[in-house]
Amino acid sequence: MTIVIQIIFALIAMLILGSALMMVLAKNVIHSALWLIASFFGVGALYLLLQAEFLAVVQVLVYVGAISILILFAIMLTRAADLAGETGRQWNNRWWLSLAVAGLLFGALIVPTVIGETWNVAPTEVAGAAAGQATGIAGAAELGRGFVYEYLLQFQVIGVLLLVALIGAIVIAYDETARRRRVLTLAEELELKKRQEAREAKEAKQSRKGKGEKPLPAPVPTDTLSKGNEGNEGNEGLVVR
Amino acid sequence: MYDIVEIVLNGWLGLNAPEWLLILLRHVLVAGVLFGVVTLQFFFLTIYERRAIARMQDRVGPNRAGPEGVFQTVADGIKMFTKEDIIPDAADRWVHLLAPCVVVVPTMLMFAVIPWGPGMVPVDMDVGLLFFFAVSSIAAVGLMMAGWASNNKFSLLGAMRAVAQMVSYEIPAVLSLLAIVMVVSTATGSGLSIVSIINHQAGLIISSQEVSSVPDLGLGWFVFTPVGFLAFICFFIASLAEAERPPFDIPEAESELVAGYMTEYSGMKFGLFYLAQFTLSFLLCAMTSIVFFGGWQGPGVSWLYNQGVTPLNPDGNAWMNVAAGVLGAFYFLLKTYIFFFVMVWLRGAFPRLRVDQLMSFGWKFLIPLTLVNVLSAAIWVMLTRWGAAQGAGFVEALGPANDSFARWGLAFVLTLAINAGAYYLLVRANAAPGMDEYVRVDDELEAVKA
Repeated sequence: MTIVIQIIFALIAMLILGSALMMVLAKNVIHSALWLIASFFGVGALYLLLQAEFLAVVQVLVYVGAISILILFAIMLTRAADLAGETGRQWNNRWWLSLAVAGLLFGALIVPTVIGETWNVAPTEVAGAAAGQATGIAGAAELGRGFVYEYLLQFQVIGVLLLVALIGAIVIAYDETARRRRVLTLAEELELKKRQEAREAKEAKQSRKGKGEKPLPAPVPTDTLSKGNEGNEGNEGLVVR
Repeated sequence: MYDIVEIVLNGWLGLNAPEWLLILLRHVLVAGVLFGVVTLQFFFLTIYERRAIARMQDRVGPNRAGPEGVFQTVADGIKMFTKEDIIPDAADRWVHLLAPCVVVVPTMLMFAVIPWGPGMVPVDMDVGLLFFFAVSSIAAVGLMMAGWASNNKFSLLGAMRAVAQMVSYEIPAVLSLLAIVMVVSTATGSGLSIVSIINHQAGLIISSQEVSSVPDLGLGWFVFTPVGFLAFICFFIASLAEAERPPFDIPEAESELVAGYMTEYSGMKFGLFYLAQFTLSFLLCAMTSIVFFGGWQGPGVSWLYNQGVTPLNPDGNAWMNVAAGVLGAFYFLLKTYIFFFVMVWLRGAFPRLRVDQLMSFGWKFLIPLTLVNVLSAAIWVMLTRWGAAQGAGFVEALGPANDSFARWGLAFVLTLAINAGAYYLLVRANAAPGMDEYVRVDDELEAVKA
C-alpha cells in the first residue's frame, strides 16, 4: 500500500511542480493562469492523499472555482485587446532577484519544519489513526471546533468581514437602482415620446402667447444614463434618455 | 456491492490480488457503471425534453427514428461524430481542444456522491455536498477557456456571461443548502454528507429525527418545513441559472450571441458541451430531489432495507436489499424527472431574462432571502433540538428536545412568519422603483394634460 501511495504522491508532486514551472515559463498570460489552475488542482489532490477531504474540497472550491476565475476575469477584462498577440516572456533581466527572494521565503518556511518535525513516526501510532479511532485533524468537524473554541476571535472577525462584503454588495446594488431609471418597453417609450412632444408643442404655443417670456425647460429625466452596471455588461443601452 | 470484486477475484479465481488492486477494480467497476448510466440518462433526457417542449409549443417533435423517436439521440450522435471538426485559424488550438473536456469531466465526477438508493452511493464522503459544488465550479474554468480560445467576440461575451452567472448564482444555491446543512448537522454531526441529509428525511410530514414518535414512512421531507420550502424555491431557481436553463439561458442567447461560448465548436466537441449541459441539469434536479424531497426516501424503502443485509444486520435477506434499491431508485428518478419536467415547462413558459435583470434578481432578491433563511434555520434548530445544556432552557417548558409536537409547531409557525415576512419585504423593496416610475410617468402625463 505504501509504495502505491508513494507513486501517487510522486505523480501529483510532478503535476504540481510541472504546472507551476509552466506557469512561469508560458509565453501567454492566459496559459499561465490555466497552468496555475492545474497547480491548484494538484494541491487539492495532495490534500486528498493526506485524507484531508474537507481541505481538498475547499481548495478546489475556493482556488479553482473562485480565485482562478477572478484571475481569468481580470486578465480578460483588462488586456483584451492585445491578448491574442501576447508573446512577451514572463521574466525580465532581474529574474535572479525574484528567484532569490522566492528561494529565501521557501527556505524560511521549510527549514523550521524539517528541523522541528519528528519524522519516521513508528507505524503503530499511525495504525490507530487509520483504523478510525483516533481523531482526525483536518475534517470539517475538527476545523469547526477549532474555529469556535481556539480561534474564536479571528473567526468572528473574518466572518463579519465576509458578511459585510456580501451585504455591502447588495446595498450597492440597491443604491444603483434607486438612481437608475426603470427600463421601459418600446410601447412605453413611444408613449413617453409622444407625451413629451405634445407638451413641448403646448409650451411653445404658451410662450408665443406669453410675450416672449421663456418657460422653464421640460423636466427631462436626467439621471437615465447607465450608471449602475452591477459588475456586468448589461443591456443598459436600452435605457431611454 | 464492493465485496463482490473480492469474492470473485480472491475467492473463486484464487488470484490473491493485493488490496490496492481490489480497491482500484471496485472503483473502476462502479465508475464504469456510472458512465453507462450517464450516457443513458443523456439519451433519455434529450428526447424527453424535445418531445415535451414540442408538445407545449403545439408541434410534434422528433418522432421518426425508432418508436416515438427514441433513437433520435443516437442518430444525432452519429451525425456529430461524422461532422468535420473545425478549429478556427485564430483559435488557441490546445485550449480550444481542452475546454470541452474541462466542462464535461466535472459533471461526470459529480455523480460520485449521488446516492441512488439506500446503501447505493458510489462514495459516501463526509463532505459530499461541498464536493458536489466544488466540482461543479470547475466547469466555469472550462467555459472561460472555451470562450477565450475560440477568439471570437460572441464566444468571449457568452463565456463572460456564463461565468458571471454561475459565480453569482452559486451563492444563493450554497446559502440555501447551508440552512439544510445546519439542521442536519445538529442532528447527525455530519450535515455535509449527502447520505445523512437523506437519512434525516425519514418520517411523515414531520421528520422522525425531529419528533421521534412520528412513524417512518419516508416522507419527512424538508420541503414540508418553512425553512426547507424557501430553500427549495431559492435553490431550484439558482440551479436553473447554474445549468443555464431558460429563462436564464442568457450566455447562449441565440438572438444576441449566436451560441455563446459554443459558437466556434462543431462536431463532437459541441456534442460534449451539450452532454455536459444536460448532465448538469439532471444532476441539479437530482440534488433538488435529494436535499428537499428525500432522494430515495418514500413509503416502504426503509422498511425493505431494514430486512436486508446492512452493517447493523449482517444476516438479513439480500433480496430485500435489491428490492429496497429498486424501489429507492424508482422514487429518486421519479422525483428527478418531475423536476426536469418543471425545467422544460419553465423553458416553454417564460421568455429569457436580460443580464441586468438576472443579476439584480440574484443579488437583490435571492441572496437576502437565503440569508434570512439561514437565520430561520438557526431558530428552527434551537426550538427543535436545544435544551438547558445549550443555554436554551426556556424551550424545554414545551417538551423534551427531539420529541415534542409543540416545539415543532412553534418552530414551524415562527420560521414561517419570518420567511413570509422577509419575502414580503423583499418583494416590496424590489418592486418599489418600478412602481414609482409608473407613478412618475403618469404624473408627467397629468402635467401635460393640465
